[in-house]
Amino acid sequence: METESLGATAEQQPEVVEADNGGTMAEQQPFLEGKKMMNVLVAVDSDESLHALEWVLDKLLKYNGGATPQTAEQEHSKLVTIVYVIEPLPRYAFPGGYVVESASKTQEQNGVRILSRAFEMCRDKMVKVKTLILEGDPKDRICRAVDEMNFDLLVVGSRGLGQIKRAFLGSVSDYCAHHARCAVLVVKPPKKPY
Amino acid sequence: MEDKQVMVLALDESDHSFYALDWILTHFFGSSSNNSFKLIIIHAKTSPVSVMGFGGPGSTDVLHLVETDLKKTAEKVISKAKDVCSSRSVTDVQYEVIDGDARNVLCDAVEQFHASILALGSHGYGAFKRAVLGSVSDYCCHHARCSVMIVKKQKPKQKP
Repeated sequence: METESLGATAEQQPEVVEADNGGTMAEQQPFLEGKKMMNVLVAVDSDESLHALEWVLDKLLKYNGGATPQTAEQEHSKLVTIVYVIEPLPRYAFPGGYVVESASKTQEQNGVRILSRAFEMCRDKMVKVKTLILEGDPKDRICRAVDEMNFDLLVVGSRGLGQIKRAFLGSVSDYCAHHARCAVLVVKPPKKPY
Repeated sequence: MEDKQVMVLALDESDHSFYALDWILTHFFGSSSNNSFKLIIIHAKTSPVSVMGFGGPGSTDVLHLVETDLKKTAEKVISKAKDVCSSRSVTDVQYEVIDGDARNVLCDAVEQFHASILALGSHGYGAFKRAVLGSVSDYCCHHARCSVMIVKKQKPKQKP
């Protein structure tokens, strides 16, 4: 079940070049003047990942927030999609249906809250953004979304877990860094002031 | 003029690295007015001892030859990178060749240049190869103090 809530300007620019993720193309795109359209997928799961989003907006899309109006071509050169994946709870783990119901409702509400915060952040920086809620195992779902929707860059946060914690808790960002078919940007948490 | 963010790009002689260079230039250095990054390209030159291990008699001569060969490779990599950059009219680039193991070189370079992004290509090894051959991108992902961008060469999608 996918619920897609579109941002304010949700229509995508018609692609001026053929998608570089499609088919059998292994070589680089022919270089066009002006920036090529870049589809960026930002995976968020919690408030900490919003830091990753903020970092991306600041560093990668800095010029979009500039005072001078950019040409129409440059404005549409990066499309950001923010995705939140809901992991369905195993029904067998909880006796009685209502626990699962309320837990998944909480998850959904959480997702909506985080996505709306994220959407606000993007809107403040005047970036075109789309939000998406997907359901399933986060690692697989994100990698599949990259394939299906032809993203050029996947941005994930990283909680800075050590080796052992990573092995036990599982790391979505680790999995995505290895298995996603596009470029992956792992954003580290800010250094804590000591 | 505000300070530019620094992006460090790691290059070795493989195709994957140059694909990463291409990709980065296309997406981040597309039009000259939008250069919000200063690009520093780093080639890590491994030391001949680590390549050869401890040899038997006559190894000193071989050591010399290996060192020369490594130097030549480094020069080739840097000049090819210079060509690619200038053909894309990207001029604000710094090139460095640093001795040592790629993993450490890159993480140190991030500190040294205060980079905000470290970009690398990836050989796309599976889990087993990664465990045996080691993966620089893996190491950097975990240990670099800045955000890490791993650029992969697209595998042709298998048609069903």
